[in-house]
Amino acid sequence: MAVFQAALVNELEKLYKKKKVLVAVLLSLAIIVVGQLALVLVRSGFGLRGAGSVEFPMLVLTIVVNTVLPLFTALVTIDIFSGEFSHNMMRITLTRPVSRFKLFTAKITAIALFILTNLLLLLIFSLLAGFLFNVNSATLGAFVNTVLSYMVTLLPMVVLALGIVLLANILKSGVSVFFAAILAFIGLKVLGMAFSQYSSLFIIPLLDWYNLWLADSLPLMKILRQLLIMLGYAIMLFTAGFYLFDKKEF
Amino acid sequence: MDKVIEIKNLTKLYKNGRGVSDVSIDIFKGDIFGFLGPNGAGKTTAMKVMTGLIKPDRGDVKIFGHSVTKEYEKAMTHVGCIIEIAESYPYLSAFDNLKQFARYYPHVDHKRIDEVLELTGIIKYKNEKPARFSLGMKQRLGLAGAILSRPKVVILDEPLNGLDVEGMIDIRKLIKHLAEQEQATFFISSHLIHDVELTCTRIGVIYEGKMLNVESTQNILRNYANLENYFVSEVERNGRVPSCAR
Repeated sequence: MAVFQAALVNELEKLYKKKKVLVAVLLSLAIIVVGQLALVLVRSGFGLRGAGSVEFPMLVLTIVVNTVLPLFTALVTIDIFSGEFSHNMMRITLTRPVSRFKLFTAKITAIALFILTNLLLLLIFSLLAGFLFNVNSATLGAFVNTVLSYMVTLLPMVVLALGIVLLANILKSGVSVFFAAILAFIGLKVLGMAFSQYSSLFIIPLLDWYNLWLADSLPLMKILRQLLIMLGYAIMLFTAGFYLFDKKEF
Repeated sequence: MDKVIEIKNLTKLYKNGRGVSDVSIDIFKGDIFGFLGPNGAGKTTAMKVMTGLIKPDRGDVKIFGHSVTKEYEKAMTHVGCIIEIAESYPYLSAFDNLKQFARYYPHVDHKRIDEVLELTGIIKYKNEKPARFSLGMKQRLGLAGAILSRPKVVILDEPLNGLDVEGMIDIRKLIKHLAEQEQATFFISSHLIHDVELTCTRIGVIYEGKMLNVESTQNILRNYANLENYFVSEVERNGRVPSCAR
């Protein structure tokens, strides 16, 4: 466990010291500012209500979950894997007393923590913006639903990251991984729309699964089914990614 | 004598036919083993297998009795190494780079990091990022990382690459100091034959992926004027040296 902890702290330190991550977080926050400004302008210009205090974070989540969040997750994942493969930097860690399994798991955990941090920052700042500019309609139930929606979004984002990890272990350059990930994202999204009855199987439509948690009476069976599909994908993608990572020659 | 590294029937062949074939070597405690061979002879391939960067087709490497392929963490606990170029994270300072390594060894503290930076002569660049380092400075930082944990085995692939004369002398002294004072065992590959002669106590010659001979430097210098003559003779004896090199 101590070795895994060391590997995880190292990965987190590397993430923290890279400016890319800071830029990703700042850009995520900029979306809140821009969104809030737009709402204020709509309200003062057209007299429309826009979004209430706890509705604003949900509006932000709806936008980021299909745009900047997958984008930054992809960039960070590619940086952690392809970035280190291409500059022989993997050798720095691989020649230390740490198994490839622990290193791979530490990298995945670091990515998951990055996504969680990004979601938490978005939640906190969008809630603050919501309360500052739209002091109305806040109820405890709505607040809990908002927090829950942000937290459950972590799971499909991690599955998405695992898919990109697999691509990073198949393709050589980070650029090709990025474009393959974008194509796969769009392709799966279109397939999800074209075959809506099987949309859960195309994984990308599950990025919106937080909507299930907002219903007045929770559709438990549907939630369980989608949860199991995501866990199944996570296990398969993790195993396939690790298999390739373990076989890789550096 | 205590066997520290045991390479047994090691075979790793690439698609182009290069690599190593059926290499067996035993390295004993306190050895400074020089792994000699021309470019493309298979030195780096063998060292990559020894450090787990690539997996062998056949055979195995044991370090302190632990197989590199089966018990990697245990095998690498007392090993420090540089393979090919000493890489470092360009966005972390020299100190932070070493801190990354230090986390894997509970006994290594900040004082020890300063100590190795001092030993390798880069303490004044402690807070600078390696992105601005020369090749020689990067190599020194890599060496600092390799000896940080006070390893019992140090595997160095071309450690003098990019170093100036002063740097070469410093590193040679450092290797001898660690071998004498801390009883560290070294496995060093180099094509700088003169440096191998001055530093190493045992020599192994590899040519076209096959081990030709392993002999102590003392015995070699008893029979040959210098290591270069021995190397040429060994390769010639195996009938593989081109006539222009004779």
